[in-house]
Amino acid sequence: MTSDAVRTAGLAAVLATLVLVSSVAAPLASARPAHEIPVTETERADLSQPAAAGWEDVPASDVALASAPSGVPNADDTTVETVHVQAARTDQRLFVRLEWDDATRDVSADDPRTFADAAAVQFPTNASARPPIAMGGPGNKVNVWFWSGATGSQELLAGGAGSTTAFQNPAIEANATHSGSGGNATWALVYSRPLNATGENRTALQTDGDLDVAFAVWNGSNGERAGQKAVSEWHYFPFGPGPQGPPYETLLWTVAGVAIVAVVGVTTFGIYRTREGN
Amino acid sequence: MSTDQQDDQGSEDSLVDVAEGIDHQVAMVMDLNKCIGCQTCTIACKSLWTEDGGSEYMYWNNVETKPGEGYPRGWEDSGGGWQSGEHSERQTGEIPDQEDYGRAWEFNHNEIMYEGSDEPLRPREGAEWGPNWDEDRGAGEYPNSYYFYLPRICNHCTHPSCVEACPRSALYKREEDGIVLVDQERCRGYRYCVEGCPYKKVYYNTVSKKSEKCIFCYPRLEGEGPDGETYAPACAEECPPQLRMVGFLDDEDGPIYKLVEEYEVALPLHPEFQTQPNVYYIPPFAPGQHTEDGETVDIDRIPRQYLRELFGDGVDEALDTIERERQRTRQGEDSELMDLLQDKNPAKQYRLGVFDDE
Ligand code: SF4
Ligand code: SF4
Repeated sequence: MTSDAVRTAGLAAVLATLVLVSSVAAPLASARPAHEIPVTETERADLSQPAAAGWEDVPASDVALASAPSGVPNADDTTVETVHVQAARTDQRLFVRLEWDDATRDVSADDPRTFADAAAVQFPTNASARPPIAMGGPGNKVNVWFWSGATGSQELLAGGAGSTTAFQNPAIEANATHSGSGGNATWALVYSRPLNATGENRTALQTDGDLDVAFAVWNGSNGERAGQKAVSEWHYFPFGPGPQGPPYETLLWTVAGVAIVAVVGVTTFGIYRTREGN
Repeated sequence: MSTDQQDDQGSEDSLVDVAEGIDHQVAMVMDLNKCIGCQTCTIACKSLWTEDGGSEYMYWNNVETKPGEGYPRGWEDSGGGWQSGEHSERQTGEIPDQEDYGRAWEFNHNEIMYEGSDEPLRPREGAEWGPNWDEDRGAGEYPNSYYFYLPRICNHCTHPSCVEACPRSALYKREEDGIVLVDQERCRGYRYCVEGCPYKKVYYNTVSKKSEKCIFCYPRLEGEGPDGETYAPACAEECPPQLRMVGFLDDEDGPIYKLVEEYEVALPLHPEFQTQPNVYYIPPFAPGQHTEDGETVDIDRIPRQYLRELFGDGVDEALDTIERERQRTRQGEDSELMDLLQDKNPAKQYRLGVFDDE
């Protein structure tokens, strides 16, 4: 081989590698749909504390919040605009971590005028149909994981605003910490639930498809409670086997990658042959 | 018990405006001319219903001095109720501050009783306001100062804005008698009822984290006590001068119907809140003003305008009617109204079983 030929072959190999890498990476990075919240598969057994080691490896999605439409007084006066959501799954449990800015830690409701900070994660009880975003509907209920700074966690069932009832045997756990101060203060909250928890009106987490999920946050010191809350649109956890993200996209990139590699390979071989023939 | 249909007919026949879907409406008339401010009613209620943790600061029945700030302080200006008699738009309201209700003070009993302290008996700390802080202060200048006592419970309103304010329908008006209750299973402590009641007669329990209110002693009405007998609410039965009548507004043979609907001398408190209360008051009389030399002159001691602010414009006619009937009895004539206002017969004062056979 001449030195020219070696250089050409090297270039081709680099090109081929680049193409291959991009075919794998692109769907994960740039093409993730806006309402998808990735769920990281992990071996770590315990992510139940907001500061547990391992959360730094789980990607966070910024979920936008806005005042929920509601008939209660001051419904459009809410303060929290974004919640950062992370989700991780072991073969036993699903962990959902929320983090949001809140300058005050409101954990008491033991005065007539005080309200506690709170948050909620909402799933359809039946993953096959997306319920109305505002607490579901009578025929299309939602399973809510609720946490309040004053009273801890509650698992709820709702079929429309005002219909919330608590599960007698909740399957969820929640741990929260408030840290920082002033403009840098945040709540971090982790909910978790065994994947195999069953029960009437309890969302099945051992599902192969996408699972709809929505979020809500209440700022207690702003008098937020009930329908006066900051809520997200429906998002989804892409549960299911194999690589994540829409598979056809990965397939297309792979086909394109293989074709480019082949073309580069054939071209290189052609040039090499031509030079050798000289 | 009757069928629903008969019940419906019962309320349709009635001349009284009871709430939609309600068979009968409990009601109370309090004669303010008889109240001595002894607080026996307050204690009867408290020892029955609000002695547990989280309810220390509550007085489902309170007796306040008028003119005065009341309990909770400034409740008359705290909003709530309806914007108009159409009952379509509610008026925004505020949750009273804990300081406006007053706290359950701790006293230095221990020091005085067991440690030989010779301090006066007094709250340990921070006693700057509480129920009846301004008791007997009233208004006016000597020798024409004036005040009267105003006992208050939930009015079990015909258009209860507390019920309407709750996004969970945790408050409701009982079908059989219109008593307004908070379903403790449904309540999630949002306190929209607390701010929505213009009389501030729903209270937030700081331990159970749910709202509570006067239940018109419904277990007593239902004969749930050890002897199985029916009793009127404790605040009424325990009142030394027996100034409260208890019955149904739509019991046309009862004294409440006569006083409210026929003679129109029993008036709701602050009718402009538009909740249509079912507790009614015989407005207070006071002797005329005195001159410096102690002569009585024909000028109202309690300014009429003040009474209109409390009981609405109907107060003029009510007071005129009572004065006219008093005059009749002075002249030896019969007056059904005066008999009703003086009647001590318990069977008439408390008429609770009248619809039991329906
Ligand atoms: S007085 Fe207040 S609490 Fe009682 S029924 Fe009326 S609005 Fe409701
Ligand atoms: S018990 Fe009767 S007299 Fe005494 S404060 Fe109450 S209503 Fe007035």
